[in-house]
Amino acid sequence: MALASQKGRLIAVIGDEDTCTGFLLGGIGEINKKREPNFLVVDKNTSVPDIEEAFRSFLKREDIAIILIVQNVAEMIRHVIDSHVQPIPAVLEIPSKECPYDANKDSILRRAKGMFSAEDLR
Amino acid sequence: MSFSELYFNVDHGYLEGLVRGFKGGILKQTDYLNLVQCETLDDLKLHLQSTDYGNFLANEPSPLAVSTIDDKLKEKLVIEFNHLRNHCLEPLATFLDFITYSYMIDNIILLITGTLHQRPITELIPKCHPLGSFEQMEAIHIASTPAELFNAVLVDTPLAPYFIDCISEQDLDEMNIEIIRNTLYKAYLEDFYKFCEELGGATADSMCEALAFEADRRAFIITINSFGTELTKEDRAKLYPRCGKLYPDGLQLLARADDYDQVRNVANCYAEYKELFENAGSNPGEKTLEDKFFEHEVQLMKNSFMMQFQFGVFYAYVKLKEQENRNIVWIAECVAQRHRAKIDSYIPIF
Amino acid sequence: MSGKDRLQVFPSRMAMAIMKARLKGAQKGHSLLKKKADALTLRFRQILKKIIETKMTMGEVMKESAFSLAEAKFTTGDFSHMVIQNVNKAQLKVRSKKDNVAGVLLPIFESFQDGTDSYELTGLSRGGQQIDKLKKNYAKAVQLLIDLASLQTSFVTLDEVIKITNRRVNAIEHVIIPRIERTLSYITSELDEMEREEFYRLKKIQEKKKKIRALEEKRKAALRESGIEMKEAPNILEDDEDADLLFTD
Repeated sequence: MALASQKGRLIAVIGDEDTCTGFLLGGIGEINKKREPNFLVVDKNTSVPDIEEAFRSFLKREDIAIILIVQNVAEMIRHVIDSHVQPIPAVLEIPSKECPYDANKDSILRRAKGMFSAEDLR
Repeated sequence: MSFSELYFNVDHGYLEGLVRGFKGGILKQTDYLNLVQCETLDDLKLHLQSTDYGNFLANEPSPLAVSTIDDKLKEKLVIEFNHLRNHCLEPLATFLDFITYSYMIDNIILLITGTLHQRPITELIPKCHPLGSFEQMEAIHIASTPAELFNAVLVDTPLAPYFIDCISEQDLDEMNIEIIRNTLYKAYLEDFYKFCEELGGATADSMCEALAFEADRRAFIITINSFGTELTKEDRAKLYPRCGKLYPDGLQLLARADDYDQVRNVANCYAEYKELFENAGSNPGEKTLEDKFFEHEVQLMKNSFMMQFQFGVFYAYVKLKEQENRNIVWIAECVAQRHRAKIDSYIPIF
Repeated sequence: MSGKDRLQVFPSRMAMAIMKARLKGAQKGHSLLKKKADALTLRFRQILKKIIETKMTMGEVMKESAFSLAEAKFTTGDFSHMVIQNVNKAQLKVRSKKDNVAGVLLPIFESFQDGTDSYELTGLSRGGQQIDKLKKNYAKAVQLLIDLASLQTSFVTLDEVIKITNRRVNAIEHVIIPRIERTLSYITSELDEMEREEFYRLKKIQEKKKKIRALEEKRKAALRESGIEMKEAPNILEDDEDADLLFTD
């Protein structure tokens, strides 16, 4: 862990081809020695278990600090995302190019909203 | 060859007629105006149905993705092109093959990149452009290292002469993939130019003009894009295709250029390029230099339809169709992302 | 429960002193924890506000980035396969720092450049400028997302810590302090009880002693009358037991 944080950790992406391409051009892509990429391109042929599998493996990897996931993909594996409660790696939902960002679907924002109303009631 | 016009129709008349017919199907300004009005991709599909594209998207399930449209457009072009290719005689056959080489270069570069990073090649084959597919692509999975790829596969492709001239086996490992691509493209352009010159007649007239423009455009753009990168001036000079109007003086000047203004000064010596550089800018509202180049290319291609009994129309048709595909995809992207501010920056053709 | 739920102590003055000290400690702890919880909640709300703001800006930035990708594709053609195949080493990585808020360590991510841009020459012959713009846009997006990730991690960590702290505050307020107070009142009541018993005992003995003395005086007076003089003082060294006065009649 200490070693990983010293060397710098990675940002992983799960999303459609265009989103991945963009972030890879942004310079976050890496293929490690085991030839595992830190991104997953989801197209219409990618099955939900595959996405789940990739997401879980990203969660397990110690060198990944942030996971970016496109919101419509996140919808598909919502239960997995909701069950991830540790602060690291941080899971961020990002809008895809075709769907504008919908705050009501975001796991974190939903939690935040719940808290806000509860606090306001008090 | 002096009486080539006399015999042209015997061999190629049918195909020339066909391609001129295809040209009639290229979208007009009014079609674009309709497309730009669309609110959703389904609207777009509906409008495309009323054009020459017919119901090419009819079998696609409803949440239509831009990439699907792109694929289908490409598929249509490929079908048309293959039809032409299957019915042609020499030397048109070779000419059409030359057109496919540029796609082949892109495919090979993709495959080389894949091998360098040890990706399963079978995964890459579907991603290659269908116009640039070649027989050896089936066998490419036997190669697992760049050296094997070079020895077993590349030497048999039509592109082999370009490789042999400029790239050795070791270079595949070391050189930047983009440099390989551009070196190949340069060799290809020069070869194509030579071929067209040999054909002579009206073909040479129109094609040499088009290829010279392509060569010069590459030289300009490569120069501009290389500023601030690790590409040295010597390496850069090696990538300039030597068959345009810039050759040899302009290229030498370009090779020494350090910034955009110097490139513009070079362009100022050439009337047609001067005009393109004059009102190009990167501010919003202005057309970029590349857009200008595209417009000029479209103009050249349209001109080539003015001449009869020559092969330029085939090249022009493919290029125009490509531009049209880009336009449609652009409009589709703008519609899909609800980003209408720039939707009008497509390049109108007719 | 109110009567029974107390600490098991012997009701003595000593135990009472100890309990008083404990009560004081608990009250001090309670006020400190309360302060901590307030500080954390303050920070938490700030973060929450920032998260919501950033998430909204992110929507815009991402939209812009996605659009510049479309622009680049318009000039360059489809280059995404090339990019995806060309991945090698990450150039943008994140490091985590720790930020201390009221004794809670919050991870803060910061990005740094590592290595060179492996896509420097992409689009050399076509669309290089667009791709350059695209790269910048996405780098900006990544920056924003990293900030957001720090906020979000802080959010989750703080959420957890605040819950724990609030639990502790409530436990002290509603369980520990009442229990100590009950113990104290128990001790006081026991001590009072003992005092009353003691007082009663004293009175009783006094009364009995008075009776005995009166009897003794009578006996002595009778003896004196009969002429017997008793002058001997009682021997203090004499070891005779005190008779139980309290329960004998």
